[in-house]
Amino acid sequence: MQFNDPKNDLMPRIIVCLDVDKGRVVKGTNFKQLRDMGDPIELALAYEAQGADELVFLDISASNERRPTALKLVTDIAKNLSIPFTVGGGLKKLDDVKAFLDAGADKVALNTTAILKPEIINQTAVAYGSQCVVVAIDVDKQGDDLGVYINGGRDRVENQFFSWTKEVAERGAGEILLTAMHKDGTGSGFDTQLTNQVSEQVPVQVIASGGAKNEQHFYDAFKNGADACLAAGMFHSGEYTVGQVKQYLSNKGLKVR
Amino acid sequence: MKKVLIIDTKAGNLFSLQAAIERLGFLSTIEETPSNEQYDAIVIPGQGRFGTVMKNIIANGWDEYLNDARKTNLPIFGICVGMQIFFEASDEDPGIAGLAWFKGQAQALDFPKKPMVGWANLTSNVWPNAKVYFVNSYAVKASEYSIANTTYGEQFCAAVKNGNFIGVQFHPEKSSQQGSEIIAMALNQSLKEGVTDDAV
Repeated sequence: MQFNDPKNDLMPRIIVCLDVDKGRVVKGTNFKQLRDMGDPIELALAYEAQGADELVFLDISASNERRPTALKLVTDIAKNLSIPFTVGGGLKKLDDVKAFLDAGADKVALNTTAILKPEIINQTAVAYGSQCVVVAIDVDKQGDDLGVYINGGRDRVENQFFSWTKEVAERGAGEILLTAMHKDGTGSGFDTQLTNQVSEQVPVQVIASGGAKNEQHFYDAFKNGADACLAAGMFHSGEYTVGQVKQYLSNKGLKVR
Repeated sequence: MKKVLIIDTKAGNLFSLQAAIERLGFLSTIEETPSNEQYDAIVIPGQGRFGTVMKNIIANGWDEYLNDARKTNLPIFGICVGMQIFFEASDEDPGIAGLAWFKGQAQALDFPKKPMVGWANLTSNVWPNAKVYFVNSYAVKASEYSIANTTYGEQFCAAVKNGNFIGVQFHPEKSSQQGSEIIAMALNQSLKEGVTDDAV
């Protein structure tokens, strides 16, 4: 996104990510221990009140046997929240995607499934529109090497990063959620260079993710082409409210909601 | 308690919209086909394609129902594609006629990144400084009945009003508190501004 472009009234978005397990919002301290953060609807409403522009619920749908509970939770969120929300994690086939969109999710985030069955991007876009399809891309940058990963960052695939970003847009993705794995948990800010490259080359909105620790990181990402920024930890810890980050951006001359 | 009819055009779920309407203290009913039930306001939601929504409207006889309702004082509120069908046509599905209550047609947005997704500021005397959520690839560029505009590549019509019918290109049910206020104004017909033709 170009700063305060007179031809574009869209404002940079701040998206808060919530990890859901067994109907509760959780925070992973390591792979085995999950800390309970609270009720998804209460937390979602609290973030809406803070000024979050959108929410993403991850792994809400991860396990098949809990599918009916997960769908009911999505409908409850839709009935209570008045900002858009995305669900992602564990959507393996078109029927899963349809079930969650019909349950009230505004968008689905597809990652592993998009790589394994890329036609699901086209199918979802045709059935529900591109605006419902967020393709999440996990990328790890080591030197000049850009590795694309699936299965929660565990497995590298052969897809070339830049051609994959273009392919998902051509197939009908409405947005790309770009998670820089090499930045995740570092607190050193979003990968602004990579965000900028994707944003300039691909004709869809780009959501930067991974590495945010303070308000300036958001400013830097928006300055470098991010249309939206996603963060979790710095908001869940209570270190920052979304409102505080927006105040900072506003003081720096950005139009925010 | 006022009763609101939500027309189900089979283009997306209606949970958020219905909940938003009920939070405002209205009763609401979702109907797939017209009935003789009396309502105090009508909402035409709109996700999906212009052609799909319009075909559904005609197949179920909603066009006749809405054309009759238009002649009364009943508030009619169209959202997104539900607003676009107030116009004559859309470049999204050429050859399919809209309700043609307004002159003009929806055209593809002229901006590199599509669809337009996100919050934008309205230029409007009715809702000054309102920030609302847009999701669209098509929009009507201009209308003499416009009460709010937004720019994405070019300026387009974000809301129209003529007497009892109001249309918005954005999604008030996804626009937090601001959206809720806009829904209340549209359904209570408390919006006095805008153009009103005497002879509809």
